[in-house]
Amino acid sequence: MDKRIRVGVDVGGTFTDFVMVDEARNEIFVGKQLTTPDDPSVAITEGVEHLVREAGTDPCAVHSVVHGTTLVANTIIERKGAKVGLITTRGFRDSLEMGKEIRYDLYDLHLEAPPTLVPRYLRREVSERMGPDGEELLAFDPDEFRAAAKILIEKEKVDAVAICFMHAYRNDAHERAAKNIFTKEFADVPLSVSSEVAPEIREFERASTACANAYVQPMMQAYLSTLESKLNDLGFEGPLYVMLSGGGIATLRQARAFPIQLIESGPAAGAMAASYFGGLIGEQDLISFDMGGTTAKMCLVEGERPERSHDFEAGRVRRFKKGSGLPLKVTVVDMIEIGAGGGSIASVDRMGLLKVGPHSASSKPGPVCYGLGGSEPTVTDADLYLGYLDPTYFLGGEMELDLGKVESAISTHLAEPLGLGLQESALGIHSVVNENMAAATRRYMAEKGRDPRDFAIIAFGGAGPVHAYGLAKLLKVNRLIVPFRAGVTSALGFLVSPPAIDLVRSYVADLENFDTVHANALFAEMEDEARELLVEAGASPDLIKYERTADMRHAGQGFDIPVPLPDGSLDEPSREVIRNSFYATYQELFERVVKDVPIELMSWRVSAMAPASQVSMEFGGGEIAAGDPVKGARDAYFPEFGMLNCTVYDRYAFWPGYTFNGPAVVEERESTTVLGPDTKVRVDEYLNLLVDIE
Amino acid sequence: MNTSTLPTSEFDPITLEILWSRLISIADESAAALLRTSFSTIVRESNDFATVLMDENGDGLSENTGGIASFNGILPRTLKSFLKKYPKETLKPGDCIITNDPWLATGHLPDITMAMPIFYNGKIVGFSGSIAHSPDIGGALWGADCRELYEEGIQIPPAKFLREGEPNEDLLEMIRGNVRVPDQVLGDLYAQVTANQVCGRRLCEFLDDSQLTNLTGLSAALLERADWAMREAILAVPDGIYRSELRADGFDEDETHIQCAITIDGSELVIDYTGTSKQITRGINCVMNYTDAYSVYPVKCALDPETPRNEGSYRPMKVIAPEGCILNPTRPAPVNARQLTGHLLAGVIYKALVQAVPDKVIAECGGAPTMRSVYSGYKADGSRFSQILFASGGMGAGPIADGLPTTAFPTNAGAGSVEAFESIAPLIVWKKELRQDSGGAGKFRGGLGQDCEVEVRSNGDIQLSVFSDRRKYPAEGFLGGKPGATTDIEFADGVKMHPKSRTVVKPGTRLILRYAGGGGYGDPSERDPQALQDDIKNGYVSRAAAEADYP
Repeated sequence: MDKRIRVGVDVGGTFTDFVMVDEARNEIFVGKQLTTPDDPSVAITEGVEHLVREAGTDPCAVHSVVHGTTLVANTIIERKGAKVGLITTRGFRDSLEMGKEIRYDLYDLHLEAPPTLVPRYLRREVSERMGPDGEELLAFDPDEFRAAAKILIEKEKVDAVAICFMHAYRNDAHERAAKNIFTKEFADVPLSVSSEVAPEIREFERASTACANAYVQPMMQAYLSTLESKLNDLGFEGPLYVMLSGGGIATLRQARAFPIQLIESGPAAGAMAASYFGGLIGEQDLISFDMGGTTAKMCLVEGERPERSHDFEAGRVRRFKKGSGLPLKVTVVDMIEIGAGGGSIASVDRMGLLKVGPHSASSKPGPVCYGLGGSEPTVTDADLYLGYLDPTYFLGGEMELDLGKVESAISTHLAEPLGLGLQESALGIHSVVNENMAAATRRYMAEKGRDPRDFAIIAFGGAGPVHAYGLAKLLKVNRLIVPFRAGVTSALGFLVSPPAIDLVRSYVADLENFDTVHANALFAEMEDEARELLVEAGASPDLIKYERTADMRHAGQGFDIPVPLPDGSLDEPSREVIRNSFYATYQELFERVVKDVPIELMSWRVSAMAPASQVSMEFGGGEIAAGDPVKGARDAYFPEFGMLNCTVYDRYAFWPGYTFNGPAVVEERESTTVLGPDTKVRVDEYLNLLVDIE
Repeated sequence: MNTSTLPTSEFDPITLEILWSRLISIADESAAALLRTSFSTIVRESNDFATVLMDENGDGLSENTGGIASFNGILPRTLKSFLKKYPKETLKPGDCIITNDPWLATGHLPDITMAMPIFYNGKIVGFSGSIAHSPDIGGALWGADCRELYEEGIQIPPAKFLREGEPNEDLLEMIRGNVRVPDQVLGDLYAQVTANQVCGRRLCEFLDDSQLTNLTGLSAALLERADWAMREAILAVPDGIYRSELRADGFDEDETHIQCAITIDGSELVIDYTGTSKQITRGINCVMNYTDAYSVYPVKCALDPETPRNEGSYRPMKVIAPEGCILNPTRPAPVNARQLTGHLLAGVIYKALVQAVPDKVIAECGGAPTMRSVYSGYKADGSRFSQILFASGGMGAGPIADGLPTTAFPTNAGAGSVEAFESIAPLIVWKKELRQDSGGAGKFRGGLGQDCEVEVRSNGDIQLSVFSDRRKYPAEGFLGGKPGATTDIEFADGVKMHPKSRTVVKPGTRLILRYAGGGGYGDPSERDPQALQDDIKNGYVSRAAAEADYP
């Protein structure tokens, strides 16, 4: 492969992070810019311009720019999307509003319903009906459809339209007929068709996904066009790519048609970077642990690939409450996110017990120690009090932390009401937040039938390395990895991710009787589509790998499991191969097999992937310092061991092969790694910290 | 006890928080194991299960986060009755006790309860327990119209399912021989065993980690905290006796009449159902355990929704129902559809409490009790199907907002997808939509119910079983709010179906199910005019109804 210059851009809520890899010079350049929420392309172009100038690179030498954005997620959270009209099968316009008919909180009598993106008066019905086997039960009425679309567009003046017909995942003929009429007569109105956006069974989830796609489409189309032309104005001539929620790189065409697939593009990059480091170090089984200002995200990585899921929930009414948001049928990196970050606020609850989170002081006003007006003690404040953070070396010394304010806040809000000392209270905050993360991780792993003890933790994000040791102890994990430049790990993820796409078709059928001709046609169709998309994204067609899976279950059991399917054309003998694959997967997940119950296939999937670009990490950039890594010593408190005098290290002065033992505090600009007395550390050739806990 | 200072113990508030959250995570892991391996759609679709960790005395210490709230209170009682038959000192590691006795457990035969002792250093330190709805329990197909318990399925008195880890083969054979889908039923029983074992293993690890030798002191501290929090919440309610009554359809001429008196005395609360109608010879009798569970749960929701729960939360509350009444029937009363009566209790309790704490309760719910239709028969390929249409009425309105549409309370049974429903049974749903004008008018409007239309498209006749109430008596509104719409189940030709019956229906039959709306809250004339305009614009309320109901 040619030596290339590539740029990764991560548009976050507060900052936009940049990473530029110059393969010819073997150098990495990083940058940071305040996000410009009204038009994120402003910060992106400024940042890219800044970066190329600093590196002395000609913009036209940049091969490609890959970027991820929180824009889609924020549009839904803030309800700032388009006015959308929905057209459904007669009798089903309300499924979008009725949803799963479940209360997401068992005890709250006054709970707020999850959002409905399309109000009832903008939902229209037409005569048409397909049956579950794709048979037509009622013909499609084009005139009714035309009339419904006309009212929505001309009278109600909607900005975008979604269509969701019953069983369209099985037979999309009626949706296609509707689309034909629509694109002829209303060519300039963006249209989202359920069988294209999310061809999966379950009408509520499919309609929800189609509507969400329509809701963000006008804004995303405008944004992507602006960004493309601004980068071109800079002199950049290469392709602009986006990161999809499942961790694959895709083209702008894909992003314009299905912007909803960008909903988790930022968080996906972090998990992709963690997978990449795992491969680099030779750790196959990892828990990626990303702890920032407001949340902590944990993700299972096995075999250098993060766990993925085909369901996601966006725009929750209560941020961390399952069921309080919009269900989306989108392939995402499957992670658990909880309200545990540096800014999480500690308080005393009605039972007189210490609670931490989920409320956060965020970046404004921020923790008490920032001195920006925060008054309630947070996790970062406790970390400062316990000696984990150096008040004079926060953000490399750019911000001085105020320990005095922290003491008085902990005293007023916690120590007094709890009847405890300052140190006990501060340690309480640290322990409770670690416990919350450990409990969430255990539950997440238990749902997947995994035991955390078999995994290593890879920690990043501002607060990740501070808490990783404590979390590892609670989970009985004995190996910890802290990558170099933990602050920009996510942005690096954009440059190490492969062009990849996940496609799905639903076809509910019995394993013994399914129509192999139909199934083969589905796979052929998906593989053709995937090939076209990936070639467009720069992949060589011969190097694309296709992985087939199906969501399968025992008839009557409401729980699908993803089962690998054989390559090649399916025929009669394939049934046995699939059956055995199902049993093997079932056995692995549930430790038992039930043999005499019929097996069903629900959704058929193709995951296509081209090889990722290799990023060489064997360079230090301009940040490496010479001299003794030992900066000094300070006292820090460890739950099992008490107050210990820790050696303080300068991360930038380490060299490959350097070893040391805990207790230790390792400082770098955006984060601090805290390690207890039972740790042995080795600095590897990429300057990562490899930690063994005894 | 009339307290306003926090209880103190050997555990500080940080240690307690951490240890409690670990105990809850043990119950959650146990639940994850059960959910992943069970066959029963009811377990998954309607959360009809629970896992509970109990201390050495059998008191509930922690429970899974997402389960049916009311079940968690029942398990410890069932365990205590197990211990009467199998005293603690006779139990061995690996023993597992089972029952589905409605009176000892959750009120009807399909729910299976299993518990196991947890040994640590040779001593019993606690018990793990689980409840799950079995895919089948034999007897007549699920129905509300049986006349005796014996028709409703096989009864499993408290017995050892495992003896020191070895299956009790005689019992297994007995169960196998009495159910329609033995492999699934037995499979699910083992799923419960697995869940209990996970709970036991995790508790031992917990004791190792926290360097405790048993749960005695910790349990006392946690129960005391929960007890204290509940008492604080009750103390905030003005003392007095608050009375209410409620009528429900019952079965044919046997209407249900519930009489309720709630006495608040300092930090204690007593719910007394004396005066309630007698038990009947149809399956809507509600055993005392279920009555108790569905009484304390709505109180907790209203007065103290935020604090976590354990056995201590329920100590300040007492529930009384005279023996022989429909809320405390005697054997062998049929009890299969006990939910049709038990779900009504939240409404009658809130009707009493609204007099004391109007800002904490909601009006009666259209989805209480749940309305269910069950379709059983044969598919074209000769295989058997049995499908429940899950759908809910509207919730009652509250003091700050309209009732949620099509959402059940006090149960939390969700609705599945129509496409999935149609893909596994020869049934077509032509309509599943919000029911206009079904929410009771009020300052805050009751949640809308829904209309469903189901066509039977099998080759042969099928069995249809329905469970419904509120045909005569709608969900009432509070403080001037109007009642919601009543229910109806009728055939396309207009013939109404018996609301609690089983019948055979022919292919091509179309069934129309109309689910009840929730009651309104407050005087309709006080409704925000903009909210009413929005209701009309969106068709939640028709223009005609708006004119009639909102002066």
